[in-house]
Amino acid sequence: MPYEFEEILETIRMTEIEHFDIRTVTLGVSLRDCHDRNIEVTKQKIYDKILRYGKNHVKNAREVESRFGISIANKRISLTPISIPFDSCSLEEYLEIAKTLDKAAEEIGIDYIAGYSALVQKGMTNGERELIKSIPYALSQTKRVCSSVNVASTKAGINMDAIRMMADVIKQTAELTKDRDSIGCAKLVVFANAVEDNPFVAGAFHGVSEPEVVLNVGISGPGVVLDAIKEAGQVDLQQLAEVIKKTIFKITRAGELIGRKVAEKNGIPFGIVDISLAPTPAEGDSIADILKMMGVEDVGAPGTTAALAMLNDAVKKAGLMASSSVGGMSGAFIPVSEDQGMIRAAQVGNLSLEKLEAMTAVCSVGLDMIAVPGDTPASTIAGIISDESAIGVINDKTTAVRIIPAYGKKLGDFVDYGGLLGKAPIMEVRNLSCENFVGRGGRIPAPMRSLTN
Amino acid sequence: MKLKEEEIRKITLDAIQELGANATPEKVKETVRKKIEETGGGEYIFKKGDVSSGRVILTSFGLNKPGIVAGVTKALGDSNCDIQDLTQKLMGDFFTMIMVIDISSSQKDLKQIQEEMSKVADDLKIKIYLQHEDVFRYMHRI
Repeated sequence: MPYEFEEILETIRMTEIEHFDIRTVTLGVSLRDCHDRNIEVTKQKIYDKILRYGKNHVKNAREVESRFGISIANKRISLTPISIPFDSCSLEEYLEIAKTLDKAAEEIGIDYIAGYSALVQKGMTNGERELIKSIPYALSQTKRVCSSVNVASTKAGINMDAIRMMADVIKQTAELTKDRDSIGCAKLVVFANAVEDNPFVAGAFHGVSEPEVVLNVGISGPGVVLDAIKEAGQVDLQQLAEVIKKTIFKITRAGELIGRKVAEKNGIPFGIVDISLAPTPAEGDSIADILKMMGVEDVGAPGTTAALAMLNDAVKKAGLMASSSVGGMSGAFIPVSEDQGMIRAAQVGNLSLEKLEAMTAVCSVGLDMIAVPGDTPASTIAGIISDESAIGVINDKTTAVRIIPAYGKKLGDFVDYGGLLGKAPIMEVRNLSCENFVGRGGRIPAPMRSLTN
Repeated sequence: MKLKEEEIRKITLDAIQELGANATPEKVKETVRKKIEETGGGEYIFKKGDVSSGRVILTSFGLNKPGIVAGVTKALGDSNCDIQDLTQKLMGDFFTMIMVIDISSSQKDLKQIQEEMSKVADDLKIKIYLQHEDVFRYMHRI
């Protein structure tokens, strides 16, 4: 037999019991050649181009799924940040484009299409300002469009004007989608150091240095890591790191195989594999459970940040060894609403916003899917975004904020979206003002670290 | 150099003609590959280490009872699948069987065989998974 009995059973156990799946195969499509003076022509060009590359995306992914017996949870599409090719558009025209994207996504049969984005870390053009203003309407009037805005980078610093604008956009989006628990905010990410090849929606976009079209893959698999740690038992931390690495190595290899095969079937180049541990609301598919299995009583206990840092590092190291095309976020995700263990910890008050913030300094993304009271002032949201941006900018890493100031909800309430977005308890926000700080506007200069040349 | 689909089809047709009555799927594949390598297009199509075989790993498990191996192998035989290796273990009342099968000479593709086998699995009240060999190769071999 070319493979050991145990090896084969291990793979079957991962896919059948431990929820190992490929979290997403994301088709990145450049829209840079779609601009026209006539908005109707522009819309048609966009629609045609997305359909041209994407029409068989779902079908091809399904075929690869059944061939290898590994399920692919999401098939998605990311686009050139819309503000770049269509910089001359007005708010109304951007809205028209958003609706076109929604229609194209529906036609292809995917749940989300991402890239309604702008990169404004240093400053914004008139078009970018229009796009940002249009976000609340775009997210409330479409179902599938996801938006992201990059407001800071290590090279450029932190654009506080953009952050203040985004805080207002978030509040307005929450209000416009109040009938569905402010779901619009779950489709809007504010980034620092956004990456160009991230396959994970809602923050995905097809960066300007990317090729015409590319296929990126994001792996998942907290359940597999959890069981491996459980099986390892009481070993020291070095041995534990080894156990995590071995497991991640295997799932990264499988992820790369799936990505390459889907790309091959679509006849397009393969981009990267994002070796992120992404939880889902399914029981046992949780990062929080991994941290608890590592030895902390609950997420939020002292030691949580260290455990997460170690997990994140082991994920990266194993992923780098397993694939030469590692990219995207590549680390552990800690979205609150999408992780049963995190939901429980937040609900009983073990996990505070401040502890989460500390954790984001050592994991791959940031404050993700956090619900806060609907009456949280915009300036406080701007403060939270600027804190998170500072962590990203100073540590030269990506951070993001996906915060939901749930309209009309208070502490003790829940927002519940069902499906992959899950459900989040409203978390407490410190009732202290930062109005006079964020209200100064301008830009926090780029740190020392930016002067590397 | 990247070969177009029509060019590959032409090479394949030539190979079939050349082999005449001797043509079997394996021989045709071998001849076509040689031709492509000669023209320099092989670089793209047969990247080293990325050659997909027609081998599939079948894993089945469930409560032990008479007729399971017979049921599974009969269905595979009917589909013209070649069983290249087989190993089985019993743990109490549970059995696990793993087979390496070659489906390249079958008239059916992997999806159709998977459908066939899921019928067998339902009849025997066991679980059967069929996965292309590559996934195991990628995960367990460097």
